[in-house]
Amino acid sequence: MTRLKNWTFALVKLFHSIKDENLQWQEKNQEQENKLKHNRVLASKALEADLKKRSVQLEHDINLLRTKNETELTLFKTKCQQDIKDYKQYLTALDKLKRSIQSSYTHLPEAVAFTIHHHAKHLLNQMWEAKDFEQKMLHEMQLINFMTTVHEEARRYLEGTSNTSLPEKTLHLIQRKQINSE
Amino acid sequence: MIVRIALLLVFTAFALFFSVDLLLWLAIPGLPNLLTQLGLVTLMIAFGILLSAGLFIIIKLTLATFFNYVSTKERLERRLLFINVKQEQLKQLFYFKTIQVNYFSELKRKRLLQANNKQHLKSLSKVINKDLQSLKKHLPKSQYLQLHQVYRQSLKQQNIEALLKLQTEITTLN
Repeated sequence: MTRLKNWTFALVKLFHSIKDENLQWQEKNQEQENKLKHNRVLASKALEADLKKRSVQLEHDINLLRTKNETELTLFKTKCQQDIKDYKQYLTALDKLKRSIQSSYTHLPEAVAFTIHHHAKHLLNQMWEAKDFEQKMLHEMQLINFMTTVHEEARRYLEGTSNTSLPEKTLHLIQRKQINSE
Repeated sequence: MIVRIALLLVFTAFALFFSVDLLLWLAIPGLPNLLTQLGLVTLMIAFGILLSAGLFIIIKLTLATFFNYVSTKERLERRLLFINVKQEQLKQLFYFKTIQVNYFSELKRKRLLQANNKQHLKSLSKVINKDLQSLKKHLPKSQYLQLHQVYRQSLKQQNIEALLKLQTEITTLN
């Protein structure tokens, strides 16, 4: 019984000594521990502030992006609408060109007027479908040149200043284009 | 620490069971019964402690995870992630909307072109038909039929080039 008592006392003593050591260690390192805690809190606050700032910045960016996208899309839609309008006008101009040929050269076979119109439409489509800006410009120049030649020849024929009864320059342009494409 | 206590209790329980065997071998009555009960109680306490510790750890981890999830830092990080995803979505949406607008614009242009082609095809076919009718009496029947067949076929295929070629051929025959 006495031995058991001794063991219990020894155990309690050991427990107290451990507790004392722990307290001493805590006392010794309290300042460092507080500092560490303080630093941790500060770092956490700084991180939160930084995240908040980034969040606000990103939200601002997203609003800007949305506005930019909307504006660009509206501009693109307007450009597409304008393109369609231009294309329609080109088609009307080409129809007019055909009528002009038919009314100027009354003796001209229908096939020639149709061929001229068809070629002009081919040039127009080539211009429209060109991906490269330079190519587009080149085809546009070709189309304008072709239309100008047709109108000019028709005018000269009507005025009687032309030597030939056929739009030879125009036919020559078509022939040259066909040879080039072959 | 808790695990150590539980293991200590388990070992104590096994020691008690071993001592019960020893006492039985030595044929000492009364005490083995008491020691067996004591061993059983010790073993139960050890398992109880282990179970409680496990439950405690699970609850602690769950709570820690929950509090971490609702913490300001995690919340802000989730928000940042959400905004980033939204930004990407907006970029993709813009790209696809542009493609859509372009597609419908191109479709509209092609329809305009088709309508125009149709109109000219109609007028060209009218002229060819008229020319063919006027040539009917002057041409051998087989040649006329061949030209007429080419005309019908080209018209069916809406082939303007072939019709133009035919018109040129008819003009030369005239």
